[in-house]
Amino acid sequence: MNHPKAGILGFVGLLNGPQTMGRSRLFWGSFAVVVVLAYLAPTYLGIKPYKVNEFLVSGFLAASLSILWGYGGILSLGQAAFFGIGGYTFGVIGINLWDLTGNTHLALLGGILVPTIFAAIVGAIMFFARLKGVYIAILMLVLSLLFETFMLQTADPDVYSIGKAMLGGSNGLRPASDIPSAAFGWGDSVAEFNGRRVGFYYFVLTLLIAVYLGLRCLLNSSFGYLLVAIREDPDRTATFGYDVCLIQLAVFCIAAALAGLAGSLDTARINRVDPELVFGVSANIMVVIWVAVGGRKDLTAAILGAITLEWMFLWLTTSGNPEYAQIVMGGILILVMLIAPEGIFIFLGNRLGRLYARSTALVSRREDT
Amino acid sequence: MKIKTKTQTRRSASIPAIGVPIIETRNVIKDFGGVHATDNLSLAIQPGELHCMIGPNGAGKSTFFKLLMGTIRPTSGTIHLKGQDITRLEPHQRARKGLGIKFQNMQVYQELTVFQNFFVPLRRHYKPREMPELVDRLLRRIHMTGLEDELVKNLSHGQQQWLAIGQAIALEPEVLLLDEPAAGMGPDETASTAKILNELNADGMTVIVIEHDMEFIRSLHSRTSVLHLGTLFAQGSFEEIEQNEDVLSIYLGKA
Repeated sequence: MNHPKAGILGFVGLLNGPQTMGRSRLFWGSFAVVVVLAYLAPTYLGIKPYKVNEFLVSGFLAASLSILWGYGGILSLGQAAFFGIGGYTFGVIGINLWDLTGNTHLALLGGILVPTIFAAIVGAIMFFARLKGVYIAILMLVLSLLFETFMLQTADPDVYSIGKAMLGGSNGLRPASDIPSAAFGWGDSVAEFNGRRVGFYYFVLTLLIAVYLGLRCLLNSSFGYLLVAIREDPDRTATFGYDVCLIQLAVFCIAAALAGLAGSLDTARINRVDPELVFGVSANIMVVIWVAVGGRKDLTAAILGAITLEWMFLWLTTSGNPEYAQIVMGGILILVMLIAPEGIFIFLGNRLGRLYARSTALVSRREDT
Repeated sequence: MKIKTKTQTRRSASIPAIGVPIIETRNVIKDFGGVHATDNLSLAIQPGELHCMIGPNGAGKSTFFKLLMGTIRPTSGTIHLKGQDITRLEPHQRARKGLGIKFQNMQVYQELTVFQNFFVPLRRHYKPREMPELVDRLLRRIHMTGLEDELVKNLSHGQQQWLAIGQAIALEPEVLLLDEPAAGMGPDETASTAKILNELNADGMTVIVIEHDMEFIRSLHSRTSVLHLGTLFAQGSFEEIEQNEDVLSIYLGKA
């Protein structure tokens, strides 16, 4: 179907709407295979979870920018700012509440909510002041760098501490040994996921799949239609009676919540958060490269882009000369922009979809072309 | 007849007192860096009218539409809809009060299908499951039945113009503003456009049209306003305007 269906099948129908690539049996078949392989990966690949876990966390951040930039048409060069705020919030709440609760429910909630509230304030100022395009992109980068600069000078524990947590300047949040891993449950039945172990891998993989499917539903709902309409032509969409600023603000907040979730998970993964890691220029630009190379206008492509490029980046930095890794990344970006400007995975997806449609006798409208 | 009922209830709740123009501008001035795009423009349109606006290039016609829709704000003066001052309202608020528009540059979503193009304006009032029927009805009104699954970029120029009109009427506006609806059309398409507009007007919609094609305007049988240098230059039936020598001379650049 080329439009959302209401009724009992509404939810399932939304997984397969027009705003996300991959609607064929081929897509869902390979999706199932990839999921099964991903769950089995630690047993047969011999991969080291503490490395792969990082790729999965970047998937959330890529999804965040894909929704904001690819679907909403709002480029932010500072999406890592929300990642960092989420990371710091998770750490600060975690350090302070661990002895009391023994879990990280509130830390994770805070790690999502605080960046969202911050995004609501910044977004309200930007969108209602009619800032557009490159101004938003630059402003967000500057904001992220301001956070970095501020956090770098918070070494003095007498001034910059929140409860038991010390912001710690360039060394990052202290005491690092007290930054908890993700832990859920109460009392004796707490499940804790150490970011260097395989348990964290299964936890984040499951969460990523759940978030991915949830976002597919969101993007194929009326809200998704509106986002794309605003991306294509904000002025025209306003003449249909929609408050464009409000919808842009909403998508900005959703993206910030996702980035905050990624930041929280990352702090939990390595029990560490420092300013350069989360607020720096390269942290911000890498997100843009993942999403641009993978394909910003499709959720699946953006997430795959992040995981693939992170994997490649790790491979480059560990095998050979690490100083070339970023140059190679830049080269890949330029190459993809020249050959497949829509992004490598959208390009491949379209090709595959066309081949599949041709090879099946039942060519129906729902096949992705 | 769902669409009709809805329109009627909305209209009956807001029928203005007799004699109140549905659209009125009072002494509207819009400056673009020292140039008066509209200069003390006062104009009133009555409910149910089909009204044409003509004038040489730069007369302020498109500016007038943008001022009505709120995409630009006047330097001074006020704009009224059904007697209510809407000068300070945002475009989306004006749309909710019953203004529908097709701008000069067609703004249809090129990458989407016809059905999806209707989805966005229809979603304001209707649920997705009501849409197939509504889209069908809208397509009949713009003489494009059966094209809902076509990609917009595969449509002809004229069909895209009609689609843009269809999107505007999907909102069931009380006032429809059309900036050059017949631009770039052949004679047959132009005649169809005139028919569409006359049908919409017969349904009770106030329609204001900016046009250059004189044959097209003649076929509309509408009241006509001539704008010149940002002010109202002449007004009357098209036949009267056609015989007005001052109007002829501004088109030929003598005034």
